[in-house]
Amino acid sequence: MGIIRVGIIGLGRMGMTHFSILNPRKDVEIVAVAESSGLIRSILGKYIPDIKLFEDYKELLDAGIVDAIIVCTPPNYHYPVIKMAGQRGIHVFSEKPFTTKSSEGSELSKDFIGKGLVNQVGYVNRYNDIFLKTREILESGIIGQVMRFSSEMYSATVIKPESGDGWRSSTKHGGGVVYEMASHSIDLVNFLIGKPDKVIGSVLSRVYSKNVDDIVSSTFTYKNGVAGTICVNWSDSSFRKPTNKIEIAGTEGKILADQHSLKIFLSSENPALNLIKGWNTFHITDIFRPVPFYVRGNEFTRQLYEFIDCIQGEANRNLCTFGDGVNTLQIIEAIFEDYYKNSTL
Amino acid sequence: MEKIDKIVFGDNQFFGINHMSQEKAQQLSEKFRDLNRIIEIYDIALGLGINSIMLNSNDRAREICNYFRNNASRYSDIKWYPSIPYPHKYANLVAEKGIVQTINELVFKGNTVSDILGMISKGGAVLFNKDVIKIMKLLIDLEMRIFEGLDIKVVFLQNIITDLILGFSISEVFKEYCNYIRKRYKAIPGLITQNMPYLLDKLNEWGIDNVVICSSFNKIGYLMSPDINSYVLASKNNNPEKIQIMAMSTLASGAIPPNAAYEFINRQNIQSVVFGASSERNIEETMSLIKL
Repeated sequence: MGIIRVGIIGLGRMGMTHFSILNPRKDVEIVAVAESSGLIRSILGKYIPDIKLFEDYKELLDAGIVDAIIVCTPPNYHYPVIKMAGQRGIHVFSEKPFTTKSSEGSELSKDFIGKGLVNQVGYVNRYNDIFLKTREILESGIIGQVMRFSSEMYSATVIKPESGDGWRSSTKHGGGVVYEMASHSIDLVNFLIGKPDKVIGSVLSRVYSKNVDDIVSSTFTYKNGVAGTICVNWSDSSFRKPTNKIEIAGTEGKILADQHSLKIFLSSENPALNLIKGWNTFHITDIFRPVPFYVRGNEFTRQLYEFIDCIQGEANRNLCTFGDGVNTLQIIEAIFEDYYKNSTL
Repeated sequence: MEKIDKIVFGDNQFFGINHMSQEKAQQLSEKFRDLNRIIEIYDIALGLGINSIMLNSNDRAREICNYFRNNASRYSDIKWYPSIPYPHKYANLVAEKGIVQTINELVFKGNTVSDILGMISKGGAVLFNKDVIKIMKLLIDLEMRIFEGLDIKVVFLQNIITDLILGFSISEVFKEYCNYIRKRYKAIPGLITQNMPYLLDKLNEWGIDNVVICSSFNKIGYLMSPDINSYVLASKNNNPEKIQIMAMSTLASGAIPPNAAYEFINRQNIQSVVFGASSERNIEETMSLIKL
């Protein structure tokens, strides 16, 4: 296809990260940015004079100057932006949690599949070296039938009472620990184990936030007897960096994984995969594959490169489509429903 | 350009930072909870002949700097290599407040009235005239406060910032950063990056020199984008009279045995190594292996 012309919708923290990762790629030209803040627009215009700047995303999409967009607005704007992009035949990479309603997400997924447009959601853990290896190990079947799992995520994101302004303080707008952080843990479960059939025992708690939750825990069950839990707390000051952990117990072994290490316990050796009986430990330094340009972690670069590769026809399917985004939203909605239904008894 | 020290003592080991294992990071953070334990290690390193220290401007750096300032007579020839900013502080603020509000908070909160008046007169009410360079200078000054009074040789910009701006390809920010560090701090500007070959190319293209680039440099290519061969080639072709290269993560968080690690490093066209260690034996061993 030659040069892919890209527009960024929303130049906040993620918009800037994606801009920086994609801009050095030779077959990409970032031609336009839509951003509601005049301050950000004026700074960008001063240092990158060739770029087209828009206050309103609709004007950008109507200008006919982009092949693809990266959507980094607050989540409640994702649906109208992506809907319109689909109608204009523009490929879309959307930040997670995709949309705020799974029904809207499903509609967009159908639109994009129908038009043959590349569609991707930014659940970045799917591109992490360790979690990719974890999936490989699970698919090989060496730990036997999965029985139980727990998916956890902790961070010191909200560790003092916060003001309650902005989209992050409204669940309706896609803010709060469930949409912003637990969505990663849930998506990791969908990616590694599969989508749960039922959600039970959900509990939401507030620590410091005024209008949204800070801790969520829940239990997922599957028709085949598999069960697991998630626990996500973004008000945990003991963590210097956001940390994802997953533990998966099977009939023949066990996996413990986080972003930095992978431990595999096997009840019998597996010479084909060079794994011994007992514990096998891998660190990120054993598993990593370098990326062409690094800004915030290999996984951030890898997901965007795959998006462009898909548009170029060099990759068939990305690891996180709109359909995958919908699956995560459906579990999020089931958690809210489960909690509010049972807490009113 | 002025030569930097061949061996610089790093700080990751003190602050619970280990790229390979969170468990190991936690153990280290417990071990060094007490400032005295940190000072003991510095004393060992200095006793073995190291006289340059790289230190990130995180919450604990303040007490370390206070100690060295208060005992200046005992530590007269230490050269300091600060790195700024402490990125997690900003990451959390930006996540909560957004970018514009974060700048407001950083500039106006946690400062006394006279500080703010001083900054406004200097920055000319930066937030209203939208001058990103002036905002940058204010933030540099805020971060550099804890190092006041220490003998500063190089001021490094952390990789999260360097690489973000590098991706945007905004040469003015790099030029202004370098000029400001030279002028205001009488120090050599330094840039930490995970994309050394690309940064080196860009600096040459933009005509920026007399700087130090610090990047991961190790035998297994860990945290080296785009790949190890590009690093070897880029450093080989680099002229250290214009740009000096400092290697970090030489052991790749412990994945490479020291002998093998430095056998590789010693063959590269590198001017300096920053390493961290938390025992006398390891510091001594590393110092004996580095032959630049």
